[in-house]
Amino acid sequence: MAEQEFAYFLGCIMNNRYPGIEKSTRILFDKLDVGLKDMEGASCCPAPGVFGSFDRTTWASIAARNITIAEEQGNDIMTECNGCFGSLFETNHMLHENEEMKAKINEILAEAGREFKGEINVRHFAEILYNDVGMDKLAEAVTKPLNLNVAVHYGCHFLKPSAEIEIDDPMKPTILDELVEITGAKSVPYKDKMMCCGAGGGLRSRDLDVTADYTKEKLTNMREAGVDAIINVCPFCHLQFDVGQVEVNDKFGTDFNIPVFHLAQLYGLAMGLSKDDITVDAHQINTDPALSKLDIITGGE
Amino acid sequence: MLGGGNDTEEQKGTEEQQSETEMKDEGTETTEEEKLETAEKTEPEAKAEEPVKDKSAKEEKKEIKEKAKAKTEPEKKTKKSEKKPEVEEKPKTKRSDSMTLLEGREEDTLTRDSIDENFKQEIMDAGAETLALCFQCGTCTGACPSGRRTPYRIRQIVRKSVMGFKEEVISDDTLWMCTTCYECQERCPRGIKIVDIVKIARNYAAKAGYMAPAHKAVGSFVLKTGHGVPINDATMALRKKVGLDELPPTTHSFPGALDEVQKIIKATGFDDLIGYNWEKGELE
Repeated sequence: MAEQEFAYFLGCIMNNRYPGIEKSTRILFDKLDVGLKDMEGASCCPAPGVFGSFDRTTWASIAARNITIAEEQGNDIMTECNGCFGSLFETNHMLHENEEMKAKINEILAEAGREFKGEINVRHFAEILYNDVGMDKLAEAVTKPLNLNVAVHYGCHFLKPSAEIEIDDPMKPTILDELVEITGAKSVPYKDKMMCCGAGGGLRSRDLDVTADYTKEKLTNMREAGVDAIINVCPFCHLQFDVGQVEVNDKFGTDFNIPVFHLAQLYGLAMGLSKDDITVDAHQINTDPALSKLDIITGGE
Repeated sequence: MLGGGNDTEEQKGTEEQQSETEMKDEGTETTEEEKLETAEKTEPEAKAEEPVKDKSAKEEKKEIKEKAKAKTEPEKKTKKSEKKPEVEEKPKTKRSDSMTLLEGREEDTLTRDSIDENFKQEIMDAGAETLALCFQCGTCTGACPSGRRTPYRIRQIVRKSVMGFKEEVISDDTLWMCTTCYECQERCPRGIKIVDIVKIARNYAAKAGYMAPAHKAVGSFVLKTGHGVPINDATMALRKKVGLDELPPTTHSFPGALDEVQKIIKATGFDDLIGYNWEKGELE
């Protein structure tokens, strides 16, 4: 049995739209000898944009219920979605700090036969890889170095609010760049790198035009930097750059076609997994231009 | 030598420009005769500035000056004659007839009646006690990517919240332009939890019925399936193809778990908030 084990929180978009991210993660953690235990019966985190905005009590209650599933396991939660990380981390933090709120939420959870105890931590996939697994062990997992120039997209809720999360500097972080470059890929600097993709806070479903305008700005800056691909650590950002890129092209008459990979998929490629395994063949934006570059460099597989 | 000649021309040019702008500034108060006088007065001064030059150069300058005078003087006249009717075309009396800027002011003006005395304290009690610290520096709006492309102004929302203009804040569509990216909060010199303020204000907006149908739909998906983005056939096939269970081990696979989520939603009244009809199984 693996020395370390995490409660694997899936969420919605990864498992219900981009299963290749989940597949890559399971293979990667197996290879790293870190256990992932399914959180049976977990739900949506719930979506911070809608639930956090509509009713914070409902938002915190559903998030707390998810946390109790990990508490039953006695494991810290691992999520690889910034949105889920935001909902679960913030709720966990709030119920730790605020006894009154904790009592209120537990009264509601009692209806579902559950109780929030506050015994575990909520952690992000990328931060676990960086701090727990470590760069040396990650480097060993890379069997096929990737000769790609990539735009690293941090997203918002991975590092912010930084006063509570304390993973890295929210203005000039390096954690993701280091995690990406261990695969051999090069993280290329680009203008307004820390800017939001535009999807969060419920904006994507409320006003797609504004969201697309954000994404267009990011894509423009990424393209100017001449990147082969976009790397993210959030399935919602991932969806926004993949599906949203098509929407931007439709709305603005642009011709963006920058392949999009979640960090887990990037590691999948670095471990020699096929494009079918990591389901990038099902992406809206064709990933072949990036993948063919890999084949040329390595001489093909 | 040519250079000297050019100098005078340039000087003259600027003098004329100056006198012209003077005329404009003074407007209708100065008569045309007075303007001519001032224009002439400046000329000897210009001459005095260039005493140490050889004869031929002086002669040349004179010639050029005369030519320039001949050229510019009729122009001056036409400009003046053009100016006259312009001034006459602005009759002051007509302006007072319609004061459009003041129309409808009564409805748009915020008065003491627009203030909800409790709003500020309610937001603070709900977790954003830092609201009171705002000194309106505007760093938040400067950092805001939505403010760069929409009329959303987070500084205004914070100020209106402090002032208690509840209805103003919650009825404003731009309140929903925030992506909760935290750029404002990270830069706030007073450490104000700005994103919490936005979310709390949105909670009041939702309670008052200001909810987008698309958002209610996401809420109803969670209520029905446990997921904001539920599984579909294409993804089930994709999951199967890569060797994952067709349905993830979530509420999708555990009906008892979905039941728990629904009990929570009923306990908090979220179903009533978004207007979910359990019998019909859809939003009203």
